[in-house]
Amino acid sequence: MNSPDLSKMKQDCSNSKECLEMLQMILDGEATTQQKEHFLKEHLEQCMPCYKNYHLEVAIRELLKTKCTSHAPQELVDNIRKQVSQKLAS
Amino acid sequence: MEEVIREQYSEQEKQSIFNKEFMPHINSMYNFAYRLTLDPDDAKDLLQDTYLKAYRFIDSFQQGTNAKAWLFRILKNSFINDYRKKSKEPSKVDYQEVESYYNSEDVDRQITPDLRVEALQDMIGDEISVALNSLDVDFRTVIILCDLEGFKYEEMAKILDIPIGTVRSRLHRARNLLKEKLSEYAKKMGYKNA
Repeated sequence: MNSPDLSKMKQDCSNSKECLEMLQMILDGEATTQQKEHFLKEHLEQCMPCYKNYHLEVAIRELLKTKCTSHAPQELVDNIRKQVSQKLAS
Repeated sequence: MEEVIREQYSEQEKQSIFNKEFMPHINSMYNFAYRLTLDPDDAKDLLQDTYLKAYRFIDSFQQGTNAKAWLFRILKNSFINDYRKKSKEPSKVDYQEVESYYNSEDVDRQITPDLRVEALQDMIGDEISVALNSLDVDFRTVIILCDLEGFKYEEMAKILDIPIGTVRSRLHRARNLLKEKLSEYAKKMGYKNA
């Protein structure tokens, strides 16, 4: 996405609910190429609320990925392996 | 298990599937178990039960299919059957009720759209983790599956046994609710329009 000229952008979106849904589909990798191109080129670069929403959605996803993952305790992993190998041996 | 086709794996094949296809997902699976139960001990038990179940039913896993989705589905079902009743869920609300409430148009109007990226960048502590954990378990689940684990809508529909349309609407609601929580934090942190 190019950097749009912020001063020329619309300040209101008449379709914000549908736009947000489309935005999420695009970020989820569920939109078609056509939907994606249309929305990103024809709408996002001209609409300030959607442009902001886009960056917000991206930021939330990044924050989730950095802050909400975890590692299984090694002891637990070893224990699971052990139990399964015992079953295999039996 | 819904799969009708059952394989007949040798012991060696079983071990190889278990180690190469199941074990690599153990951190994601642990995180899912923890986010569902919100209790480290329950998460350990749930994870262990799930992996032992996966091993027991290994013949109904078809090689070449998505092992991660298969495992997540077993974990989710185990959680519902064995843990949901005794877990420390704050809400004992019937899910149907919650969904119809959140499907009302009111919720969209209440959403504060002005949460700012700068406010999020200042959330360097566990704000987002607490916010995620505070969501009703069904909303929490779709965010984990989609945003953390990268499952496609179709895979999520299979894991959760719900139609794709429901996946989409639930995800949309879940994200709105998460943003609402994050705006509350942002306000507390002193962001005026957040």
